[in-house]
Amino acid sequence: MSERSLVHIKDRRTGMLVEATLIDGVTREDVELAEGQWDPYLQKELARLQSEGVPRNQWPQHAHWNWRDKQKAVEGVLAYRMFGIEHSSEIQGLMLCVTAGKTGRIESQKGKPLVYVHFLAAAPWNLGSMSREPRFSLVGTVLITVAIQLSLDEEFDGRIGLHSLRQADEWYEKACGMTNLGSDPSAHDLKYFEMTPEQASKFLK
Amino acid sequence: MNQSISAAKRTMTLNLTEAEMKALDDLSAQKDISKTAVLRQALRLYQMLDRRLARGEKLFFEHDTTKEKAELMLI
Repeated sequence: MSERSLVHIKDRRTGMLVEATLIDGVTREDVELAEGQWDPYLQKELARLQSEGVPRNQWPQHAHWNWRDKQKAVEGVLAYRMFGIEHSSEIQGLMLCVTAGKTGRIESQKGKPLVYVHFLAAAPWNLGSMSREPRFSLVGTVLITVAIQLSLDEEFDGRIGLHSLRQADEWYEKACGMTNLGSDPSAHDLKYFEMTPEQASKFLK
Repeated sequence: MNQSISAAKRTMTLNLTEAEMKALDDLSAQKDISKTAVLRQALRLYQMLDRRLARGEKLFFEHDTTKEKAELMLI
């Protein structure tokens, strides 16, 4: 079941907030729309980065994520929730969360349930690492807000956790105020970040 | 954005044995969530496991330090 509600993201060209649609329960059609829009842009920009000799470690690390496969794998599974943000008939960002089976790792939160953010990505034209003039900001912020709200709805007090790609480490730590628990050998040595109820409350203010 | 994003809920009555109710009470206290939230968690996990088992997969637990694996038998 897919539900839609109003959120706001920022148009970087004008600096103004614009209305966007939060999709709760991203459908196959939504993912196909995103794929049809993101892939051509990605391929064009990756070719440009290559021709300009930009080192591969500066290319977007999630460019290979296949959202169609992810949506297909979790469709109808209650534990998973997939969200998207749409503006101007374009998908501006996607996020996949799981709401069961994950618990806190921070000492004071150990054993308490949290919402785990499996995947979060903004559209390639919104990425500073990909686009010379990124179009919209706040897409990641809105999606993290949604994950926290989901955690509150589930009685998890705003606790969320995620493994970050290296390029996003600083954003999760500084902009989101999450606790960095260091590299996780069970997750390709990606850094694991967690947000406590107090951090969630601060983020929402 | 400060609005609930959860779907509307329906109510049901549940009959549990004394032992089941105690287990539910204990989990609710340990996890610091209501009994309803515990049961919703349980349903999600059960549905996820059931789907994977139906695909012919097995469920294993791995010890964090020894890496010893043990299969969880479900009937």
